[in-house]
Amino acid sequence: MIIRLFLLLVLSSASLPTFSQEDPLLVSLLIPSELTKNSNAVVRWDDVNIEVKAYNKMVYNNKRIVTILNSSGDSKHGAVMFYNDNTNIKKLEVKIYDAFGKEIKKFRKNDFEDVSAVSGGTLYSDDRVKYMNYTPTTYPYTVLFETEVEYRSTAFLQGWYPIEGYFTSTQNSNYKINNISGVPIKLKTSNFEDYGIEKISDFEYSAKNLSAINPEEYSPDFYNFAPVLKASLTEFDMEGVKGVNNDWKDFGQWMNDKLIKGTEILPEKVKQDIKSLTANADTNLEKAKIVYQYMQDKTRYISVQIGIGGWKPMLASDVDRLGYGDCKGLSNYTKALLDEAGVESYYAIIYGDRDIRNIDSSFSSVQGNHAVLCIPHETDYIWLECTSQTTPFGYNANFTDDRDALVITPEGGKIVHTTIYKTEDNLLDTKASISLSETGDVSANITTKSYGTQFGRHEGVQKQSQKDQKLHYKEYWSYINGLNVGEMDYVVDRESIVFTENIQINAERYASKTGNRLLLQPNMLNRVESAPKRYQERKIPFEMERGFTDIDEYEIAIPNSLEVEALMEDVSIKNEFGEYVATISQIADNKLLYQRKFVINKGSYKKEDYESFRKFWLDVVKYDKAKIVLISKN
Amino acid sequence: MKYFAITFLLFFSIDSFAQDNRFGKVSEEDFKTYEKPINPSDNATVIYKNHDIKFKFIEGSGFVQINEVHERIIIHTKEGFNWATKKIRLYNRTSSNSERLQNLKGYTYTLENGKVEKEKLRNDGMFEEVANKYWKYESFTMPNAKEGCIVEYSYEIMSPYSQIDDIDIQYTIPILQYELKIATPEYYMYNKLLNPKAAYNPTISESRKSNSIKFNNKERSDGYVTRTGFSQSTLDYTENILTINATNIPALKEEPFVDNLDNYRAKLIMELTATKYPNEPVESYSTTWENVTKTIYNDENFGDQLKKTGYYEDDLNALINDETDALKKTYLIHEYVKSKMKWNGFYGYTSENGVRKAYKDGVGNVGDINLMLISMLRTAGINANPVLISTKNNGIPLLPTRSGFNYVICAVVADNNAILLDATQKHSAPNILPVMSINWLGRVIRNDESSDWVELTPKTPSKEVISLNIKLNEDLSASGKVRSQYTDYQAYGKRDRFENFSNEQMVESLEKNKGELEVSNLEIENMNNVTQPIMQSYEFLLQNAMEEIGGKLYFTPLMFLAPKENPFKEDKRNYPIDFVYPIADKYMVNIVLPEGYTVESIPESTKFEFNGTEGAFTYISRQNGGMLQVTISLDLNKSLILASDYEQFKKFYQFMIEKQTEKVVLKKV
Repeated sequence: MIIRLFLLLVLSSASLPTFSQEDPLLVSLLIPSELTKNSNAVVRWDDVNIEVKAYNKMVYNNKRIVTILNSSGDSKHGAVMFYNDNTNIKKLEVKIYDAFGKEIKKFRKNDFEDVSAVSGGTLYSDDRVKYMNYTPTTYPYTVLFETEVEYRSTAFLQGWYPIEGYFTSTQNSNYKINNISGVPIKLKTSNFEDYGIEKISDFEYSAKNLSAINPEEYSPDFYNFAPVLKASLTEFDMEGVKGVNNDWKDFGQWMNDKLIKGTEILPEKVKQDIKSLTANADTNLEKAKIVYQYMQDKTRYISVQIGIGGWKPMLASDVDRLGYGDCKGLSNYTKALLDEAGVESYYAIIYGDRDIRNIDSSFSSVQGNHAVLCIPHETDYIWLECTSQTTPFGYNANFTDDRDALVITPEGGKIVHTTIYKTEDNLLDTKASISLSETGDVSANITTKSYGTQFGRHEGVQKQSQKDQKLHYKEYWSYINGLNVGEMDYVVDRESIVFTENIQINAERYASKTGNRLLLQPNMLNRVESAPKRYQERKIPFEMERGFTDIDEYEIAIPNSLEVEALMEDVSIKNEFGEYVATISQIADNKLLYQRKFVINKGSYKKEDYESFRKFWLDVVKYDKAKIVLISKN
Repeated sequence: MKYFAITFLLFFSIDSFAQDNRFGKVSEEDFKTYEKPINPSDNATVIYKNHDIKFKFIEGSGFVQINEVHERIIIHTKEGFNWATKKIRLYNRTSSNSERLQNLKGYTYTLENGKVEKEKLRNDGMFEEVANKYWKYESFTMPNAKEGCIVEYSYEIMSPYSQIDDIDIQYTIPILQYELKIATPEYYMYNKLLNPKAAYNPTISESRKSNSIKFNNKERSDGYVTRTGFSQSTLDYTENILTINATNIPALKEEPFVDNLDNYRAKLIMELTATKYPNEPVESYSTTWENVTKTIYNDENFGDQLKKTGYYEDDLNALINDETDALKKTYLIHEYVKSKMKWNGFYGYTSENGVRKAYKDGVGNVGDINLMLISMLRTAGINANPVLISTKNNGIPLLPTRSGFNYVICAVVADNNAILLDATQKHSAPNILPVMSINWLGRVIRNDESSDWVELTPKTPSKEVISLNIKLNEDLSASGKVRSQYTDYQAYGKRDRFENFSNEQMVESLEKNKGELEVSNLEIENMNNVTQPIMQSYEFLLQNAMEEIGGKLYFTPLMFLAPKENPFKEDKRNYPIDFVYPIADKYMVNIVLPEGYTVESIPESTKFEFNGTEGAFTYISRQNGGMLQVTISLDLNKSLILASDYEQFKKFYQFMIEKQTEKVVLKKV
């Protein structure tokens, strides 16, 4: 086996070898057992060979053999090819083998389905995709996929991911760049040591026998711990535009000069409007707020991906006339408006995602999936999300917060970290006065105020129909059986970014009656009901990407006919993961006060700490469930 | 024609001001009148929609179908901006049989300082996308959309087909004024039907009108000298005209647990039943269900496929060997086809690849696989027949049409009972069909071409039977063993969901969201043996199973298996709830009490019913020394809960959940 593979590697640079039917890699039965454990598919052989011929020409060759073990692994064969006008697919061929290595089906280029590659939410894009439409008849089966593709755009030089995701193991994977262009190529590798990946030469790597990884809750992004190689040309072509990329500074300079400059011209009338609207504003901050509001009122988000690989913003004048644009167009338009108001701002490239994902500060290349705007303010920056008509000025929680972004200035690019929403600022403050009847029915007047990241999670409810709002609260307090929602009232304070909900609810038999006692769970309105999953052996480190703080204070009025028989004991826990405090006290003859504080810190932790993390949550679940006993006075 | 329609409108206009529906005639008044939505939750309102369908004779092509659409929509909120974008799907095969969009124009109107401003939809707002080899999309998005703006657009779709697509008369926003006119030449005959399941239905009026076609005839005379001459002739014909003029069409609103919301939309179905050209015989497409099934049966991709036997005969003989029992043969053949054939994901009652080829490749569509199954059963001497079905996402067939069906299964007659079989799904079994295919009724076609309706809804309840042996420990934990059994659809669902799960993943899924639960020694039997119930057993340790309050212990007998919430949260419903199959759940709980404690109170035994015999819940509790026994059962004998029974059903469910979460109280001896 080893000798044969070595031979293949040597051969592969010259001509791709052809496999005979007897080749052991095509036989499913010969997979080492450690590679089939927890695995839906095994990459038997993946050989990527990229020849860079010039700054604007590269040829990608790939030969891969994947054994699919069950139906969950079907998509892992990878017989999919995205393309556009700058791509020339020279070879696209699949052979399928049964478990014994006998060929059972063949797909040539014309047998592939050819469809537009428009993702959900996008109105138009000129990208297309060819994919193999194959119905497997037995498992396991093996797919041999061979491709040769010529690219005139070199901006997206393929990297290398020796482990291709969860539930997928790798027997052999090789990656090689053959650079005859004279243009220097940069490489960056991560997590190679942990997986014994071999460096054969500066531009050639090989990986062997990598077991499948199971997903685990609270894991960091897969490629934070799995091996990955990034590659990039220092001079590249993006759909006919020549680019420079030695570092973020000159890459940013290129973006500024070639993609952004010249798109910012506004019609005269708009210029006048902005001037007159901001004439009386004293500070840049006030002006920026006026401009942002103007943009929000005027535009909406429509995703149309055309123009230099979807990287050039629409003209600001077009956005103005049409009243819509995508993230690039709207950010750039807002920038043009701010320029007119005399406020300095920069276009910025970022990963927009609920999960925190950074632009790699130590490796410049075409990265990111979103554009925002940033305004230098005092010693910091204000970040503007320009695709929403309702987001408050400067609010970027839950989508672009706490991550490295590429800021494009006229002097070049630089990496800047976006706003971090702190644990104590991500506050949910719930206050309620609850009144209990003799039979256990409750009614409550509730006021919640949400701040920071929690603002974004709560504020959406006020946009829904009244029927859906009621359903929302029935889901939010789903554990209260037979909940009725009464008056609902909202205040959105966009200036200080606070969302207030005033809600009336009632429910029959909330407290359960046993004999002459009533059993009451004082934490009626903010319970943690489930804890992180148990793993027999945790294998991946874990993290909390954002911290938060919940504070609850409920006054509970009990009827005169009842008195307290037993209260729960006060609880106070504090550790590296957070804090939990719950107390109840009798503040008057017929009045109890329940107070609770629950804090989860932001942090990254070792896998060994997972059990204590889980234990903390389990404790919170337990104490949130605690009950008190009320007994009839007679 | 258009002119006529407009004068007609002006006469009967219901609005307080003289609204002008002509394209481009939007006034300040329109903004004032329609600014406020009828319901606060409407994000947009269709002020006016005109849909005009007609057939135009084009020399060389014949009749061409033209759909003219004109819509005027006011957008109330930012959430309503999606009404400023429209995506139209067009059939796109070759130039002669493709649909085409033309004459698209649009404007966005805004009120600026009391004056109407308009912005034109230009080319940069129009997009064409070739989706695949069958379909393309024409989309457009209106410029300058703002809260309170009015968008208006019109376009035409040219189609070479005489079939008319179903016409939606209801949107998820209200339509204030709606006009539909369909003019069809006498040569095309249609069945017309408004969706009877819709809560709203408009009135249809019909009339006739005469029209004529002018031909340029080219004549050749054969003789010693060939001469070509031209002449004009006229053909008079009658047009059948159908109109709907409706006002204030309510919005169609989403609800959870609906089988398919489209089944409840107001729409007009125009089914082409026959064509009759001058001097030609009538060509009939469909009229009665009998005729429809006959036509289908005689289709070469249906009936003929059932007759082919040669390709499997040797394999079948080897399989059956000398088995004579009809049920055993049925089982053997069903299992054989299931393992031999894989479904390629395509529906259709006709054979897509031809059964012979499908058999050779081991892959086919629904028609390929199930027609093959029926043919093999028949060859083996079993009375097997095809059953035509419309799947849930295809809606319920309302008119006798071929296109009303999109699926076929097999019915075997045994002792006056029909056993339904589907071989496309790995986990299906006799009378266990894929859920998507269980849609009301199917049409069985017998060998003599007679046909009848068969019930698809399962009648036997699918069971979950769980026995729970619990020992309560002094440290407030509980340990014990769970044995469960799942039959029919409850087993089918688990087989599909857990197909590729390892034992470790199964344990994780059992523990998920169940508190401090540790599961061990998990054993599962019959996961792949579809004729037997799934048997599952495991041991468990649950920390904090009881709560200690004031020296007393409180717990729920069902422990971590107790339901947490009532899934039915809305106060009222407009559409039924579809459970697909009847349910019978049973829990038998045996609890050994901890040392030094005795029962203070246990939940009372009780029974309650839903709608007479449609549902029943019983709870029986018994104490026997240091042992506690609780038996709980739920029977839902009907799988469809009508909207009118919803409130009662919700209450039934709520009582059930309250009862299952009731606590046992233990006190110190």
